[in-house]
Amino acid sequence: MDPLLYVLDLIVFIGIFGILALSLNLEFGFAGLANFGKVAFFLIGAYTYALLSQIGVPFYLCLIAGATLSAAFGLLISLPALRLRADYLAIAILTFGEILRLIVKSESWIAGGDWGISVSPAIAISGGSHRVDVLVNIGLVYFCLLICFVIAQLLANSPYGRVMRAVREDEVAAEALGKNRARYKAQVLMLGSAMAGIAGGLYAQYLQYVLPGMFMPMVTFTVWIMVLLGGPANNWGAVLGAVLVTLFDRGTNIAKDYLTLPIDPSNLQYILFGALIILVLLYRPQGLLKESPIKTKALESVKRERSVVKGKGS
Amino acid sequence: MAVNWAQVFFNSAITGSLYLIGAVGLTLTYGLSGFPNFAHAEFITLGAYIAYSVAAQFGLGPPLALVVAFLCTGIVGFLCYRGVFQVLAKRGATIIHLMVASIALGFVLRYSIGAAWGWEPLYFATVWPTSSLWSRHDIGSIAVTNLWLWLIFAAVALAVTMHFVLVKTKIGKAIRATSSNPELALASGINIQRVIWITWFLGAGLAAIAGVFRGADTRIWPMTGWDMILPMFAVVILGGIGNFYGAIAAAFIVGLAENVGVVALTAMGLSSTYRIGIAFLILIITLILKPQGLAMLFRRG
Repeated sequence: MDPLLYVLDLIVFIGIFGILALSLNLEFGFAGLANFGKVAFFLIGAYTYALLSQIGVPFYLCLIAGATLSAAFGLLISLPALRLRADYLAIAILTFGEILRLIVKSESWIAGGDWGISVSPAIAISGGSHRVDVLVNIGLVYFCLLICFVIAQLLANSPYGRVMRAVREDEVAAEALGKNRARYKAQVLMLGSAMAGIAGGLYAQYLQYVLPGMFMPMVTFTVWIMVLLGGPANNWGAVLGAVLVTLFDRGTNIAKDYLTLPIDPSNLQYILFGALIILVLLYRPQGLLKESPIKTKALESVKRERSVVKGKGS
Repeated sequence: MAVNWAQVFFNSAITGSLYLIGAVGLTLTYGLSGFPNFAHAEFITLGAYIAYSVAAQFGLGPPLALVVAFLCTGIVGFLCYRGVFQVLAKRGATIIHLMVASIALGFVLRYSIGAAWGWEPLYFATVWPTSSLWSRHDIGSIAVTNLWLWLIFAAVALAVTMHFVLVKTKIGKAIRATSSNPELALASGINIQRVIWITWFLGAGLAAIAGVFRGADTRIWPMTGWDMILPMFAVVILGGIGNFYGAIAAAFIVGLAENVGVVALTAMGLSSTYRIGIAFLILIITLILKPQGLAMLFRRG
C-alpha cells in the first residue's frame, strides 16, 4: 500500500475517534456518566448517513440528521436510567447497543443485514486520485473535530461545565443547590450522543460502507481506553488518548505482519487493550493529563490578590 | 402453526434454570462488592472450556469434569477479585472504574481463551459420545433430554442448598450480614474480606457450571458467556441486586418471558434473535417501575 495513503488514513481515523473520545469525555469525564453503549450512537449516525445519502440527501444534512437522531435516542435511553445509579445506566445502555446491532443485522431490508450497504463519499471530486479523496476527508473530519473540541472546551469552562462537575462529584449536594441533576445528565447525554452520531456519519462516508460487524462493543471500549489513558475531564487528554490508542492499534496491526508470535496477534491485541485499561486504572487513574483546572474571572482575581498579599508580607 | 405450549413451558424451565445457576454468583458479588462484574460472562465461558479440556485430556466423565470446572473457575474468580478489584477498591476507585476494569478483565480472559482454544466452536458430544446425557425421551407431547432434566435438577438442588447455606450456616449468615450492612458486620466480628473472597469463589464456580450446561446444550466458543450475560443482568436487576430469592423468581420469569416471547416473535414473522430484546424490555420496565426489583417481596432474604 502507498505509504503516504497509509499515514493519511491514520490521520482520518484519529480525527473520527477524537470526536468519539471528546463525546465520552463530556459524559464520563465531566458529568460522571458511564456510557457503555457509545457504539450505539456511533451506529445510529453511520446508518442514518448511509440511508439518507442513498436517496440523494446532501452530506451535511445527512450528518446533521444523524446527530439529531442520535441525540433523540440518547434522551430516550436516559429517561428510565438517569435518575438511578451509574451501574443501571451502564447495563441498560450496553444492552441497547447490542440490540441495535442485532436489529440492523437481522432486518436486511433496512440496510442489507450482515452484508451492509455501500455509501457514497461526501464530496466527490471528479478525476481526483484516491489521495485527494482522503485529503478531502481529512478536511471534513478535522473541521468537525474542531467544532466539537471548541464546544467541549467552552462547556468545560462555563458555569454549565461547573455544574456538570458538581453533579459528578456529589449529586446530592448539586441537587441541594437547586441543580436538577437528571436534566443536566440528560442534556449531556444528548450532546455526547450527537457528537457520536456525527463521528458515525463521517466514518460511514469515509469507509464508503456500513455493516453490523463494524459496531461491536469493542468500539465502545476502545473509546473508553482513549479517555482513561488521556485523562478524564481534560479535552486535550481525550484527543491525546485518541492519537495514542489509534497509533497503538495500527502499530500492533503492522507488527502482526512482520512478527511471528506464539499466539494469534488479533487475540493478543485485545488482551493488551484489556491489560492496558487495568494498568491505567491501577497506576494512573487520573490519566496522562490531569483534569483541567476550573478557570473563572473570580478565581483569577482571588489568585492575583493572594499573590499581592504574599508580596507585601515578605 | 399450532404452538406446543407444554414444550414452551418446559423450555422456560430449562432457560430459567440456566439463568439461575449463572446469575446467583453475579447477584451475590454485585451485592457484596457493589459493582456489576461484566467479567462474570468469561467465568461461564472458562468453566465450559475447562470441563471440555479435562474431559478430552483425561477422559473424565460429566460429574468429575463439572467438579474440576467448578474448582478451577472458582479459583480464577477469587484471583480476579483479589488481584484486580480488591486493589482498585482499596485505592478508592469509583463504581465506574470498577465496571470498566471488569469489562477490561473480561476482554483479557475472553481473548486469552480464544488464543488458547481457538474461535472454532467445540462440542461436548465429541468428548462424551456415549454419555446418556443426549438420549431423548418423549413425555406426552414434550421432547426431553437427560441433559435438560439434569439441568433442572441442578437448579433445584442449588436453590435448596443455597437456602440452607444462607439461613443455617455461619458463612451464609455472614454473607447476608455483609451484604446488608458491611460496617455492622465488621463490628460484629465478621471477617468481611474472607466473606467476599468466598462469595467470589462460589459465584465463579457456579458460573462455570452454568457454562458447562450451556456448552453441552449448544456449543462452546469464546462468546458463550457474553451471549448469556445480558439476560442474566435482567435477572439480577429484576430480582433485586444481591437478593438470592429474588434471583430465583426472576430467573424463571425471564426464562418464561423469553420463550413465550420467541413464540410471539415467530408469530409476527420476526427473527428469534430478538429474544435478547425481551430481556432488555424486562430490564427497562423494572428500572422504570421498581428499580429495587422483586427484593421487596423477600425482605427477610
